[in-house]
Amino acid sequence: MKNFQLGEFEEIVILTVGILNNLAYSVAIKDEIESRLKRTVSMGALHTALNRMEDKGYLKSFSGEATEERAGRPRRYFEITALGKKAIQYAKDTRDELWAAIPETIWQSNLAGI
Amino acid sequence: MNQRHPTPPKLFLRFFRWFCHPGMLDYIEGDLIEVYERNFKTFGKRKADWRFIKDVLLLFRPGIIRPRKPYQNLTPYGMYKSYFKIGWRTLLRNKEYTLINIAGLALSITCCILIFVLVKHHTGFDDFHQDKDRIYRVVTEQHRESVSYVNSVPSPLGMVLRENHTYGEKVARMFHEANTVISFERNGEKQLIKEPQGFAFTEPEFFDIFNFPLSKGNMKTALKEPNTAIITERLAKKYFGEQNPIGQVITYDNFLPFTITGVLEDLPPNTDISPEIFVSYSSMKDFNPWLASDDAWGGITGGMYCFTKLRSGVSPAEVEEALQPYVKLHRPESKNVHHYKLQALSDVHFDGRYGGAMDKSDIGILIAIGIFLLLTACVNFVNLATAQALKRSKEVGVRKVLGSFRSQLFWQFIFETAIIAIVSILIALVAAFALVPYVNDFFSTQIPVNFLTDGTLVLFIIGLDILITLLAGCYPAFILTGFKPVAALKGKLSMQQLGGFNTRRSLIVMQFAISQVLIIGVIVIMNQMRFAREAELGFDKESIVMVRMGSDSLNTMQTLKNEFLRVPGIEKVSLCFAAPASAGSWNNSIRFGTDTEEVSFRTNMKLADADYLSTFDLELVAGRNLTPSDTVREVVVNEALLQNLGFTSYEDALGEMIYANGGEMTGPIVGVVENFHDRSFHEGISAALITTASNMYFNYAIKINGNSVKATLAEIETLWEEQYPDKMFEYEFVDESIAQFYEAEDTLLKGIQFFSFIAIFIGCLGLYGLISFMISQKTKEVGIRKVMGGGVTHIIWLFGQEFVRLIIIAFLIAAPIGWWFMNQWLQDFEFKITLDAWTFAMAIGSSIIITALTVGYQVFKVAYLNPVISLKTE
Repeated sequence: MKNFQLGEFEEIVILTVGILNNLAYSVAIKDEIESRLKRTVSMGALHTALNRMEDKGYLKSFSGEATEERAGRPRRYFEITALGKKAIQYAKDTRDELWAAIPETIWQSNLAGI
Repeated sequence: MNQRHPTPPKLFLRFFRWFCHPGMLDYIEGDLIEVYERNFKTFGKRKADWRFIKDVLLLFRPGIIRPRKPYQNLTPYGMYKSYFKIGWRTLLRNKEYTLINIAGLALSITCCILIFVLVKHHTGFDDFHQDKDRIYRVVTEQHRESVSYVNSVPSPLGMVLRENHTYGEKVARMFHEANTVISFERNGEKQLIKEPQGFAFTEPEFFDIFNFPLSKGNMKTALKEPNTAIITERLAKKYFGEQNPIGQVITYDNFLPFTITGVLEDLPPNTDISPEIFVSYSSMKDFNPWLASDDAWGGITGGMYCFTKLRSGVSPAEVEEALQPYVKLHRPESKNVHHYKLQALSDVHFDGRYGGAMDKSDIGILIAIGIFLLLTACVNFVNLATAQALKRSKEVGVRKVLGSFRSQLFWQFIFETAIIAIVSILIALVAAFALVPYVNDFFSTQIPVNFLTDGTLVLFIIGLDILITLLAGCYPAFILTGFKPVAALKGKLSMQQLGGFNTRRSLIVMQFAISQVLIIGVIVIMNQMRFAREAELGFDKESIVMVRMGSDSLNTMQTLKNEFLRVPGIEKVSLCFAAPASAGSWNNSIRFGTDTEEVSFRTNMKLADADYLSTFDLELVAGRNLTPSDTVREVVVNEALLQNLGFTSYEDALGEMIYANGGEMTGPIVGVVENFHDRSFHEGISAALITTASNMYFNYAIKINGNSVKATLAEIETLWEEQYPDKMFEYEFVDESIAQFYEAEDTLLKGIQFFSFIAIFIGCLGLYGLISFMISQKTKEVGIRKVMGGGVTHIIWLFGQEFVRLIIIAFLIAAPIGWWFMNQWLQDFEFKITLDAWTFAMAIGSSIIITALTVGYQVFKVAYLNPVISLKTE
């Protein structure tokens, strides 16, 4: 099976792109992550991650309308490609497998520990 | 500030625009502005600004920063291939232009390579000796009324330097006798051979100072014993072939035998030590007892050298000071005060005063010539290239429209120049290779023919290639790439924009001035040489051969003379000391009549028998010829002698007594001959006397009947060898030996001819550049003039006047310079031509003819061009 490379931050970004569906552009993604995960996202990190994932073929982008709000600069919308979907699916599956493999007793002992 | 459109900090926005990848700039800038506006509304300007700055700084990271070059992912090799192809095609299409450029560059590069090799050869002389900075040659400054410089010293000087002082780690004396005849036995047969470099009496320490290793024999013992010799491998092979040379005997002049005890490796070409036979110094007492003695302080014999390797820390000035007292001690009376100087080994080759082969300033002149040639070739290249620039303007326009960067176009044109430069260098290498033997001949050097294997030369050539490419390529490339694409495509560029018209003109003037000075030089030197060769010398020099005598026995002399006279091709024979004009002469102070003091002028002693006058056709103006005699009885003098003595009537002098050679040669004047040139034209006619003194006869002067010189000469040789079986037959024609007086002038003439050829050639290239430039500028003008009724002559004059003007300006500069130089040169001659207007007329005339030939074709072409075509251009 092909190995899908997906970093932790990249995973968050690509999932957020999926959440926003069709409306995913950088500022929206940033706001969404910040509001949901309560963590600040720098513009630099976000753009780098988006570019990297576009290079990998997980995302594709198209240019949107120029708006007055942005001083005439267009938005760049992202959507997940088929390969990107496979990649997040793969990430989720491997996590689930790992989750499933954890013995129940871990949770109990943890609870007992509390 | 506008509420709806607050502006983020400008500096950072600009910074962001500068570094951001152009592909992402718009999007990210949009994001930045959107976030900034939101922050502005929420937190106010101050906080929004800070956040903006923070965002910009955080964006400054590898994935976002623009790549250093646009389109970095493109490999440039495809473009290079295209440059090469286009460059090649352009060169092929403009064959004329390419040829001229390559010829000009190749010529000057050839000169540069040859000069480089020559300079390198000269600067590398004697640099292979150990501790070479401590090796010195002792030389002499002779202080009389004027100072003269000799590279030799009195023979005992080396001895006292070694015995009485401790300055020298080693001191070695050497006496070099050039032009000697060596005899040896090969396969039982006696062989005679003339060695122009002769041999040298050498002290063994010489080989401790200089690094000339032996290939056979032991240096410790090689020259210790008297009558031993070491010779080079080359000579050993020449003399004895494959036989073992050790133990063989070579003999100098049939009386001084040397046994070979060692064989030296061949002397390298870069040494000033020229003899290839070194014999033990202790044998010199048999060769020249006076010179070998320990008190030969009276005079300096040429070839008597003293070398020393000083102890480290000893300064040459110390030694010079220590040697000074010996002058007082041994030459207390002499008016000729010696100053012994130490000459560093590195100066030996470069100090012309002491017979160095190449003056340092000559090296400088050579380098200057090289640089000058290279620069003019490059400037001519630039001229031609800019003249052609308009033809390429469309190409530049199209390339620019299609997205070429200026730097790319620049490199394209540099690339084309590089192609020309490389081709020129390849041609120049071949030419230099072919010319090295001539250079060796001309400068009497021994540059190895396979000089191309030299590493520094390869570096030099690579450096030269880069230099030429940049020097010649930069300006045209800069001009060409500066075209505005719109103007270039519309054909709106004009020649004015290319500029530099006056630079071109002044360059042409300079080139022509130089070539005219050289032409004047060539004409003057040639005239003076012709004058020196053809002028009446006062005696007959045609078909007279001087044959050396084999011995000084009076009987043999007379017998052989009579035998010669029986040969049908021989008209006259005279036994004599030397020809009327000869390189070597004996000068003496005479005493006249009843005077008690010697006269103040020197008298050239011509010792000869009674046939001398008739053999050389010397004209008697008073009195009679000598009566035959073997000892001094009567004297014939020349007019100059009597004029010096103040006689107005030659008859009065007849019968007066002359005492020469300290009274040893005494006789009355019986005749007066017309003046004859007894030296080269550099010197005046000196007083001379002719008298019979058979013990001083060294030559047979033989006048041969002009028809069968070769056969007669062969007969002379046969007769001579019968008389002197174990001697070497040597002869010289009088006219040839007189021609040798002017050897230096001949070399100079050849050099100037060569350089004037190059200067003219380069000048023509410049002209060609100028005319192409003018024509491309004036094509339209010519068309309009023709339409308006201008004739062909009118058009030709339009161009012609420009060139005539330039040549006249060049001539005005060149004529005084040429006059001054050549006048200066002629001052060296006592008998000389006068500089006449013809010389200068010829110089300017030849320039005009050369110019007409160079530009004529192009001018005619444009003058006869149908105006319809010329008006259609652009």
